[in-house]
Amino acid sequence: MTNDAKEKEKLTFEQALAKLEEIVSAIEEGKVPLEQSIDKYAEGVELVKQCRQILDRAEKKIQLLGRGEGGQLEVTGELDEVPDDAAGA
Amino acid sequence: MAAKRDKLYDFFDPSRAKGPRSGPDIGKEVIPQPMSVSLLVARIKQALADAMPAPVTVVGELSNVKLHDSGHVYFRLKDSAAAIDAVMFRAAAGKLKFTPTDGLEVVVEGHVDVYDARGQLQLYVERMTPMGAGSLELAFRQLKEKLQAEGLFDAASKKPIPRFPRAVGVITSQTGAAVRDISRTLRRRWPAADVYLLATPVQGEGAAGQIAECIRLMDASASALGIDTIIVARGGGSLEDLWAFNEEAVARAVFAAGTPIISGVGHEVDVTICDMVADVRAATPTAAAELAVPDASAVGDWLSEAATRATRRMRQRLDEARLSLESIRRSAVFRDPLGRVRTRMQRVDEFAHRLRGGVRHRVAQARRSSEPPAARLAALHPARLCDRGAAKADSLLARLRWALGGRSKRAGDALAGIAGRLAALHPARLWDRGAAKVDALAARLRWALGGRSKQVGEALAGAAGRLAAASPVNRIRLARQQVDGAARQLDAMSYRRVLRRGFSVTRSKAGRILRAASEALAGEMIETELADGRLSSKVAGPWDNPGEPAGQDHAEAPAKAGPAGQPAPRPRPARKALDAGATLFD
Repeated sequence: MTNDAKEKEKLTFEQALAKLEEIVSAIEEGKVPLEQSIDKYAEGVELVKQCRQILDRAEKKIQLLGRGEGGQLEVTGELDEVPDDAAGA
Repeated sequence: MAAKRDKLYDFFDPSRAKGPRSGPDIGKEVIPQPMSVSLLVARIKQALADAMPAPVTVVGELSNVKLHDSGHVYFRLKDSAAAIDAVMFRAAAGKLKFTPTDGLEVVVEGHVDVYDARGQLQLYVERMTPMGAGSLELAFRQLKEKLQAEGLFDAASKKPIPRFPRAVGVITSQTGAAVRDISRTLRRRWPAADVYLLATPVQGEGAAGQIAECIRLMDASASALGIDTIIVARGGGSLEDLWAFNEEAVARAVFAAGTPIISGVGHEVDVTICDMVADVRAATPTAAAELAVPDASAVGDWLSEAATRATRRMRQRLDEARLSLESIRRSAVFRDPLGRVRTRMQRVDEFAHRLRGGVRHRVAQARRSSEPPAARLAALHPARLCDRGAAKADSLLARLRWALGGRSKRAGDALAGIAGRLAALHPARLWDRGAAKVDALAARLRWALGGRSKQVGEALAGAAGRLAAASPVNRIRLARQQVDGAARQLDAMSYRRVLRRGFSVTRSKAGRILRAASEALAGEMIETELADGRLSSKVAGPWDNPGEPAGQDHAEAPAKAGPAGQPAPRPRPARKALDAGATLFD
């Protein structure tokens, strides 16, 4: 995930889902005025879009970690596909 | 005391000691050269080594076990009749899986030797295995009991696994089946999560220490990498293969980690200490991955359902809004906005008619009642009497006229009030407002829906498509057309139609309708609305041209008649129809 994409994801997926759930119930209960519920609807559509983007994110290779300077882990490469007949544990 | 001393002396008397051999040579025998203690012990060691070559294998019970800080283990091996001190040095003791404890029946292997410094016989142990259970089973049981007592398995210290992890860290061998199973499962179920692998040997000498170190490292870097779930895993194998995951170092590292850890070691039947300490225990590496992430397709279904539910309800609410607009359109005031005015005007007409009749009657009466005196005074001055009667009738008429003026003014005020309210409620304006609102809502709905369905993915595209099919935009457009039609109808009936008949409405600069000439000050700008537009005028002052025909005493009407310093057409034809005051004195 690039930093830009990270920036966009201000809400975690879980928060987005929780908010969406809240919006849908607010709309369904119909307690908010029509104008507000249209705002909420638009917000909900936006959240669904965001969530979909997260869900549909392209598969990525597994990133390999190694110990970098100062003991912190850093990405050292990508894992090649492990063949089916890989032996051992 | 002396006797005792003698006795002691006697005891050590060499002559007595050698009693049996005493004879004529006594005192002449050569005492053998004494050997040193070291030599003695050395000779014993040698004799022992000759008699009992290493290794020896002994079975016995452990007692007086001392685990020394140095890593050496001291104990006594005993049975019911005998005991021997024993030591197991660090190099050998370090390989022990289990912890030697008092009372444990063990088989030890080693050699017997003498500890020079004390001349003490000792068993030097190289290997120790418990009797009965294997040492691994014993070690497992021992560590399990120990960690359990310390609370490392307590449910209270289990951390919850995030429902939707951003990144999953995997600690396992890079080449095993486990990493393949985990990788496939994670990407199939939840491609959204990043997956990091920190490879480590998972079996063999030192594996436990490396696994523990990997757990510590990954936990320390978790926030930097966004890792919010860690999987520690290994594929199936023998108890020995899985042993690293039963070691205390791994258990401690798992317990100490701040990041939630899922342990998936071995097959279903295998339970390791690591499994027990971990926040979640999975039966296999694949199961660990399944527990780590949700199923994207299930979440996608939920999203679609949420979108459908919200869209359905929004459509319903827009329909409701359209219906309530419709019902406003159908309300009496919009169907016939001038109906109430007409009703009032009719009543004013009737009233005026009755007054007129009354006035004529009273004048006739007055004339009649003045007849007898007129006849009586005819001789004196009938003509003047007649004149007086006529003057009286005139003044009566004037008073009536005045009175009527007031009443008609009140009636006019009432009408003007109605007209004012109608103006505020002006149908065209209301409709403009309603339609604009519907338009705005439709535009926003369109914005919310339109052009996004593509990006929103297939499932949402379904929901959005259904919404588009039901076409709230079309419904709004239809509503808008209905509104426009209604507005035209209403417009036809509105006061503007009156304007087309030659009336005008005069408003102050602030937009307030002027109902009395006194409401406009000289020099003020006023606005006159005519059928085809508006004029702005400046008030010169009150109109006081005496030559102007009547009509100034009852000018107030819903649509104020007459020019305001502007040569507007005289509202002559309208007077009969609308201006109640004007009809009174025709």
